[in-house]
This record gives sequence, structure tokens and C-alpha cells, in this order.
Amino acid sequence: MSDLDDFKATYFDECSELLNELEEQFATIEAGDHSSNRLNAVFRAIHSIKGGGGAFGFADLVGFAHAYETLLDHVRDGRVELSEHVIALCIRANDIVADFVNAAKEGVALEPGFGADEKAQFDALTSGNDPDLAGAPMDEFDIDFVPVMVHLQGTDDEDDAMPAAAVADPLVDSFEAPPMAKESGRWLIRFAPHSELYARANDPLLLFRELASLGQVEIRAILDEIPALADFEPFGVYCVWEITLVSSTVTEAAIAEVFEFVDGNCDLTIGPAEATPQVAEASIMPSLTELADLAAPSQPARLEEPEDGTNVLSFADLAETLKPALKVAPPRLPPPLKSIAPVEDHDGEGSGRAGAEDRRNGVQSIRVDLDKIDRVVNMVGELVITQSMLTQQMDETLRAHYQELVRGLEVLAQTTRGLQDSVMAIRAQPVKTVFSRMPRLVRELASKTGKKIRLETIGENTEIDKTIIEQLSDPLTHMIRNSADHGIEQPERRTAAGKSEAGVIRLSAEQAGGNILIAVEDDGGGINRERVLQVARDRGVVGPEQMLTDEQIDQLIFAPGFSTAAEVSDISGRGVGMDVVLSNIKKIGGSVHVKSWTGKGTRMTLRLPLTLAVLDVMLVKVAGSPYVIPLSSIVETIQCARANFSRMPTGGQVLQVRGEYVQVVDLAQRFAMDTDVDRDSRFVVLCEAEGGVKVALVVDDIIGQQQVVIKSLEENFQSIEGIAGGTILGDGNVALIVDVQGLKSASNARNKAA
Amino acid sequence: MEALAFKDDISGSGAAAAANSLQLIAFSIGEQTYGVEITTVREIRAWNGATPLPNTREFVRGVINLRGTIVPIFDLRARFGEGQTSPTKNHVVVVMSVGEKWVGILVDAVSDILTVSKDEIHNVPEGNSVDTELLNGIVTHDSRMVGLIDLHAVVSGAKVDA
Repeated sequence: MSDLDDFKATYFDECSELLNELEEQFATIEAGDHSSNRLNAVFRAIHSIKGGGGAFGFADLVGFAHAYETLLDHVRDGRVELSEHVIALCIRANDIVADFVNAAKEGVALEPGFGADEKAQFDALTSGNDPDLAGAPMDEFDIDFVPVMVHLQGTDDEDDAMPAAAVADPLVDSFEAPPMAKESGRWLIRFAPHSELYARANDPLLLFRELASLGQVEIRAILDEIPALADFEPFGVYCVWEITLVSSTVTEAAIAEVFEFVDGNCDLTIGPAEATPQVAEASIMPSLTELADLAAPSQPARLEEPEDGTNVLSFADLAETLKPALKVAPPRLPPPLKSIAPVEDHDGEGSGRAGAEDRRNGVQSIRVDLDKIDRVVNMVGELVITQSMLTQQMDETLRAHYQELVRGLEVLAQTTRGLQDSVMAIRAQPVKTVFSRMPRLVRELASKTGKKIRLETIGENTEIDKTIIEQLSDPLTHMIRNSADHGIEQPERRTAAGKSEAGVIRLSAEQAGGNILIAVEDDGGGINRERVLQVARDRGVVGPEQMLTDEQIDQLIFAPGFSTAAEVSDISGRGVGMDVVLSNIKKIGGSVHVKSWTGKGTRMTLRLPLTLAVLDVMLVKVAGSPYVIPLSSIVETIQCARANFSRMPTGGQVLQVRGEYVQVVDLAQRFAMDTDVDRDSRFVVLCEAEGGVKVALVVDDIIGQQQVVIKSLEENFQSIEGIAGGTILGDGNVALIVDVQGLKSASNARNKAA
Repeated sequence: MEALAFKDDISGSGAAAAANSLQLIAFSIGEQTYGVEITTVREIRAWNGATPLPNTREFVRGVINLRGTIVPIFDLRARFGEGQTSPTKNHVVVVMSVGEKWVGILVDAVSDILTVSKDEIHNVPEGNSVDTELLNGIVTHDSRMVGLIDLHAVVSGAKVDA
């Protein structure tokens, strides 16, 4: 059973990827790209979800996906026009499929009739066009999955759901069926697999079973090609099959669909067959046994495919099974009438498949546990430290004496840096993984608020560390909710203001130096500053006398428990939104900035570090102990002797720099440590805290600049005010990371207390 | 001596005695001997300096790098209110696990591994509040008094009260 659970987990992983792909494809389709490539990609995704779902017996999911797939099939054939209505329906259907998948994953039951409306719409759309397929009973489609079910679960308990033809083992039933009485609807299929077909762990038997479910079949193996034993190649492919399929309803497309997954790996011809001549006794029986013996060595080739290795029947088994069928099969070569070469287009599918092919051969990937990667990242971090430690040990005498050693160390430094970059690149992921969840959110918000909202995404291929991406989903959701609920106005108000009826929320990501900027921008009414200030005063967040600049008012929306919504809606208004954004972003070392233009819109920008693991810092000394200050927050450094200090009436010190007065924090004093360094030889490190507020830190000495790996203090101790964490220096000692923001706010509090 | 006593305990009294006995790592601060249960001890290392932490009580000597993780060091002498230790290379840091966390305790020297019976553990007499706070109990071993350290109590209250 645990095996099955593993399969299930893989299936759900794949589903979430496929659903993301659906989201992407429809974004382009919605934008006007109606090419068959897109549709085929959508079709494939839904088909895969349905296929897996069928294997695990998620009947609701399969039922819905099936109806959806039928519609897509009609759209693909041009029988249903891809109108805006249909696109909207499909997008809603994607959400419903996602819900079904989630329900199946969590093991919860959705309310009965969930998605029934949409399903009815599918049926309505499709039924007008094709009486054959439209509204086709569900169970007919379960047949598609019979082989999968049998192999994964090894049970037949789903059989009741299948039509008569498939209830009994299709092999026995259909293969031994007497020559058909009906002369109409006869198809002749010639199937010549290439060796790749086996290399990809496909099994002709599965295909034949699927064919057998379409109607009565006769299968003949053409063994003319089999060479003498001396010339026999173990991995060679010598067997060709001819199948006569009798069914009054089946279409050529339906037959081709059976072979869809092996398309390109076989020569396939499908054509109407002539009336069958008398059944003749096969004269090839002796050579068949030979075939069974000969074919056996070809097994290992297929077992190399681990995914299906356990499921495939051996070639020898296949030959065994085919014996009875061969007895009744007339050994004759039918005239191939219509040929469908692998690359040839039918139903406009060819190009789409070629695309899939490219992907299969192009980008290869493996799934790796994040834990394993984290371990590598940590070790590389240690390696970088050790490397810099070695470099520090090199003094002038060593350099002069051991030039080879110096050169070796330089190469080592380069290699380590390269290794570090590559490891970081492994963890980096495109922000697309978060962005792709947002279109659905916007759709839901639009329908809840009755507004018209369009989401635009830019730069979704920008890559950030996975750990940051994971932390990004919640803040982005809140920010988009906020934009949709408070930013974008109702359509009437928008028209009145001379804007287009549909509001736009633009989600963008870009890299700026060592940071990633993610912006959520709307073209709504902007922040209502009067109202924000009013609410802030009412709640005592801002004192009655306090005057605030526009920018400061805008920042108020991040205050905890702050909400301007007159009523609590189920979208926002409880006041737990934006402060969550701020605290989440702060937690990962980022910052948030809001800019608003009255009547024109609002832009919220998240500034995020590229990675959480490595920090560029300035190493300083305070009272003999090493401290590091994040380079990203440093504006400039000044020698104390040249700095322009002034004393405030309250006793606090300020620094005048370029016409600006900046609060001074003496780190030695602040950390209650004695320093014997002469005041004039100390340094000022001017830092910028959140929201552009500056603070001047006074340190004893500046040692240099380096990269460090952040270590937690809380892991074994507890957090300390003014300290953001620790790190290990090249000499193995611990240095503390100065929390610029924390120092700033703490010293404010102290000043007040004093 | 102790090693022998330990052997006798296991072979002589069997499983019942083993279940009822406790193995301690004993260490000294000045003349006084303290012990912690051996299973909590992760590592014993020589004092090699520590990075001081700002805004902490005097008994927090700072943090050290233990193979890539940051571990705080507590000065046990200072914790008992007898002033900070002036550590040399001969001083010892005993790294222990307290719950999920690892901490180091700075002591003068590690002396022994002791096996004591749980029945021999006495309650700490009322009186000196620091002792009652930081000790779980007292055992006598070879006519020496060994205080059983309550690690949770030792590491608590490390921050300076505002």
C-alpha cells in the first residue's frame, strides 16, 4: 500500500505542476494566442490529470475532467468555437479541477454536485455538434484507464464501472472472439514499433488491450523480419503487428488516440479494411515459439526504465498471450490505405507533439529533497569560510616562499565561489511558482467584489532562493487582496473617473543588484490619506498633535490591526493583512515600501534579498569583539575625526551629514562594553533602516568586507535586542550580526525613557 | 576507583540496580563538586575563548562555534554568584543538551564519571536560595558532596532585565 501512496504523492506533485501549466497556457490563450500548440498543451495536461485520477479511482475528478476534455477535443477539432465565453468557462474549469485534485489529496469530500453546472455547460456545448461523443456515458471513458488500474493496484474492483466489452479480461474475451459477422466499420491497423518504443517502457500489449476495448480485434504478428539466430540482435525490433478492428462506432481519431503515447516511436497506418476472407490456420506457429525464446533477451532493455519496470509484461509473455489470437489470424498482408507518419499532422496535433518531444529531450530534471540541497548549501558555506580562513593565514613570508601555494589558494577561492554560485542556483526558482497562483485569486476577488480586474504579470522568470519563495505567497496574497478590495474601484466609478472599466493589477519582479524587487501595482484610487489618518488618530496609532507627511501616512497601512474598511468583508477589513506582509517580509530580511498617487493608483514594492543563506557584510570591531553589519543597509562610512557631531538638548547625539541630522548609536555604549579606543580614531557607519530612515553607528574599527553564512542565535539560545543573529568568521570565531532596524527602534524607546 | 565501582554495580546488582542508578559526569568549581547526568553531555572541550553577547547577564560568557552551530557558554561559577571565572586554556567547557538546545557550561575541571543510586539523592536543604534554585538534589559519593545541576534553571534568566 505504501507503494501506492508513493505513486499518489508523485501524482499530486505532477498535478500541481500541470495545474500551474494550465494557468500559464490560459493566460496566453486569453491574451489572444489561439494556436493549436496551446490547446494541445492544455489537452495533454487535463488528460494526464484525468489519467492518473482514474488510476487512483477519483471518480468525481475523472468525471469532470472527462467532460472538460471532451469540450477541449471539440475546440481542437474546430467543432466548438474558442469564444470568450468558452475561455472563461475553461478557466473556471481549471479552478474546479484544482479543487477536485485538492479534495482528493486531502481526502475530503466536496459537496455533491460540485462543478455540475460547468459540466452541464460542457455537455451543452459539445452535444450540439457531435451526437457520437457528446454526453457519452462516463463509463466509456474509464476504459482508457483499465490498463493502468490493473497494473498499479493489481485489483479488478473497478470492473463494474466498465461496459460489457471490458468486464472480462479483454485479452481472453476479444482476442479469441470469432471472426466478426458485421462487415461494416472494419479497420485495419498496421503497427510497427521502433526500438525507442520499448526503450521508453511502452508495451504493445497495453495498446492492444485498449484497442480491444474499442471493439472486436484480431491481432496478427508479422514475423517475416526475424533474422536467423546468428544475426539476431538482442535489442533489435523484428515484430510488426496487424490488427483488424471491428466496430461500428469507432472513428479513426479514436484509434489514433490509443497510439497517442507512442506516436513518433512507431510506424502506424490506419485504414478501412476489406471484408475478411475465410479464416486460415496460421502457418507461423513454429517460428512463434522461437520468437518467444528469442525475444526474452530484449527484456533487460525495457527494465532499465525504472518507472514502469515493475509493471511491464515481458516480451515473452506477450508472445505467449498472442498465440491463441494468431491461430485464428489469416496470414496476409493488407494494403495500407492511409498512412499516418509520426510527424504528420492530424487534428492539428503534430506541432504540439513535436513541442512535447523537444521538452522531453531538452531540459532534463530530477526531483531532490530540499533537505539534501540545504545540507549541500550549509557545507558549501562552511567551505567558503574555511577557504577564507586559509587565505587569512597567508602572511607575507609565506607568500614569498610558497608561490605555488598562493596560486593554488587563488584557484581554490575561485572554485569555491563558483561552487557556491552553482549551489545557490540549484535552490533558486523562478517567482512564477508563486505568481501562477495569483490569477485564480484575482478571478475570485473580481467575482466577489463585482469589479472587473485584469492581472498582468511581468518578469515571472526572475529567480529567487526557494526559501524566500515559500515565504512570499502569503504577503503577495494579502497585497493583491488589498489592491482588489481597496485599490480598484467599482466599474461605474472607474468610468466616471475616465478610466477603463476593468482595473489592472500589475505584478512584477526584477532583480536589482543583490536584491529582488517585487511590486504589486494597481490603477485604482490610491490610498485615501484623510481616511487613513482619521482612522489612525481614532485608534491612537497617531497622536492628535502629530503631523505626518504623505509618505508616513501611506506607511500607516502596515500598522497592526489597522483597517479602513467600513465593514468587515470576507476579503479584507479585519486588519490582519498588511502588518502580516510587513512582518513576513522583515523576517526574511526584506523591506516594504508603498507609494500612492491619489486617483491614479498605488504601488507596493517588496525588496528581498537574493538568498537567505549568504549575506554580504562589513566586518567591524567593537570593544575587541567582532561584529558584522549587512552591506545592503550601509550607506557610507566616515572617520570620527572628520564627522560633524552635535549634541541635542536631551543629551542625545546627532550627526550632521549632507544637511541631514542623523541619530547616533555608539555600539560600545549601546552594548554596555568598555572600549579603550581613542574617540577620533573610531568610525561612523551610516546605515539606512526601513523606510529610508538613517542611523549612524559608531564602531571602534572597520576590518573589511566579506560574505558570511547566517546562523541563528535562537537555535541554542535566545534572541538578543539589537542582534540579528550570528555568523562564523574565517578564524572559527563567532561574530554577531548587527540588527540595524532593531537598534534604531530600541534606541528610540530608550531615549524616551531617559 | 569509580570505574571499578561502576563495574560492580552492573554485574553485581543486575538490571534492577542499573535501572535505579544514575551515571553522572562530575566537574569541579574550586573545591565544590557538581554533577550532571551523563546522557545529557554531548562533548567536553577546552576553553578557547567566546564572543561576548551584549545585554546579557554576567554569567553568559558569550557564544562559541561548535562545528558550524552557535552555542552559548554559561559560567557556572558566576551563575552561583561567586564572580566570573578568569578562564585559561586549562578550563573546560562541558557541552550539554537542554531540551532541544545545546549549551556549554564553563567549569574548572571535569573530574570523574560517577554511578550513584537514585535512592541516595537527597533534597537540597532550604536556606541558600541560589542553591535551591539551581540544584535538583545532592548525593554523597566517597564522602564528597555532589550537587546535581538543574540545567533548565542554570540557563534561564540570561537576559538583562530592562
